[in-house]
Amino acid sequence: MDAVNIAELTGNIAVVGYGLAAIGPGIGVGLVVSKTIESIARQPELAGRLQVTMWLGIAFTEALALIGLATPFIFG
Amino acid sequence: MMITRIFAATAPEGGELPNPLLPADYDIIWSSVIFVILLTFFWIRVLPSFKKMLDERAQAIEGRLAEAEAAQKAAEERTALVEAEQAQLRAESSSIREEARSEGAAILAELKQQAAQDAERMVEVTKASLSAERDAASNALRAEVGALAIELASRIVGEKLKDDAVANRVVDEFISELEGKKV
Amino acid sequence: MLGLFAAEDGEYKPPTIYEFYPPAFLFEGTPFELNRIMMIRLIVMVAIIVLFWVWTSKFNKAVKTGNVVPGRFQLLGEMALNFIRKGIAHDQLGEKDGERFLPLLTTIFFMVFGMNITGVIPFANIAGTSVIGVPLVLAAVAYVTFIYAGVRKHGVRFFTNALFPAGVPKPFYVLVTPIELLSTFILRPVTLALRLLMNMIAGHLLLVLCFSATHFFFFQTDGLFPLFGAGTLVAGFLVTLFEILVSTLQAYVFTLLTTVYIQLALADEH
Repeated sequence: MDAVNIAELTGNIAVVGYGLAAIGPGIGVGLVVSKTIESIARQPELAGRLQVTMWLGIAFTEALALIGLATPFIFG
Repeated sequence: MMITRIFAATAPEGGELPNPLLPADYDIIWSSVIFVILLTFFWIRVLPSFKKMLDERAQAIEGRLAEAEAAQKAAEERTALVEAEQAQLRAESSSIREEARSEGAAILAELKQQAAQDAERMVEVTKASLSAERDAASNALRAEVGALAIELASRIVGEKLKDDAVANRVVDEFISELEGKKV
Repeated sequence: MLGLFAAEDGEYKPPTIYEFYPPAFLFEGTPFELNRIMMIRLIVMVAIIVLFWVWTSKFNKAVKTGNVVPGRFQLLGEMALNFIRKGIAHDQLGEKDGERFLPLLTTIFFMVFGMNITGVIPFANIAGTSVIGVPLVLAAVAYVTFIYAGVRKHGVRFFTNALFPAGVPKPFYVLVTPIELLSTFILRPVTLALRLLMNMIAGHLLLVLCFSATHFFFFQTDGLFPLFGAGTLVAGFLVTLFEILVSTLQAYVFTLLTTVYIQLALADEH
């Protein structure tokens, strides 16, 4: 460790990348679920269909986070 | 830093880091084999008998429903039959009552008519007998009155009027004169 | 080998990618190499076949005896099969097309679920889907199936409909067509495979992290550090519950997405 360095960071920048990649999908999944809850509160009789759509929405959004997790393997 | 180390672990014996996104040949082969076996199993064995079981059950339930329906229909028919019979009986009894009433009325009318006829006949008979009696009486009277008158006249007039023919004519004329006066 | 026992000497060793590459013990070097994960897959396959074999014979017996009221065990099998049949196939594709693709969807669901759940089953402790083979093969099958469904129904128009959606002004095709090509024919299978694989890899790594940390804190540290071990143990327990949820969910999502892709391919207009 150099005397000039006060704090030293070690590790891989890809981790920061993944942290960034997880922000968007995190917000996205939150939005999907919150909107579904609102809709179910409004029309409880549609709960079944809305839940199926919610899972689809989550799956698509979540894919982005998982692509983020996979990028180190592709470009690493 | 753990995740970094997970992915950047040192490869053993200088080999290259394995990439989890690149499939090994045995990996693909075993996956495909397992998939094909499972697909065949589900396609040929599980789903057909599952479907058959569901169909059978639907049919059984339908059959039972139909049975119940038939039973209900039979019961309804029986009820309808009984009701119709009742209605028929009621109609019959009411018609009998009606008939009896009308028959009674007819009998009454007949009796009344008969009574009237009887009375009429009696009246007529009485009238006829009365007139016959009167006729007889008048004939007898006429004969007697004639004879008496002739006797009387002959007594008064004497022998001249002994001729019967003349005497009878005179008496008849006299009586019809009398009758004419009476009318 | 298990990662649960990763910490042997004094220093903490986090799980590594080699978790997913256990040494082969049979047919090493051939295309039929068997390692621990392949063995788990085969065991799952046998388990699924045995389970459904028993259920099928129950169904057959019910048909033979004309018994309409199912027992508790048979009802469980009916619920499992009806979940795919009614809840996914008939719901998304309708009766007719649903029946057509039902064997495929049922296979995908139970195969994915069975191989996911081994991630939390003691002594297995790794999901059969956490190596790319199964996700890749199933995604390829889904890909081929929805293209087959589309081509069978619409012929070449399936591709033109997909790449040149109706109601878009002609000049915009320059933008729209590459996007459609990317999203329909490349991203769909890729995300299908990646979603499952990455969920299982991440889940397994989380579990190993928690339990190896617990092991480390309990057996390799002194003083107050073992208290941390209690925390990581609880965390590991929670992650296990979460993994059960994720296993079911990923199987459901994989099947549902395959169904939706087939349904989109069968739809008349895009």
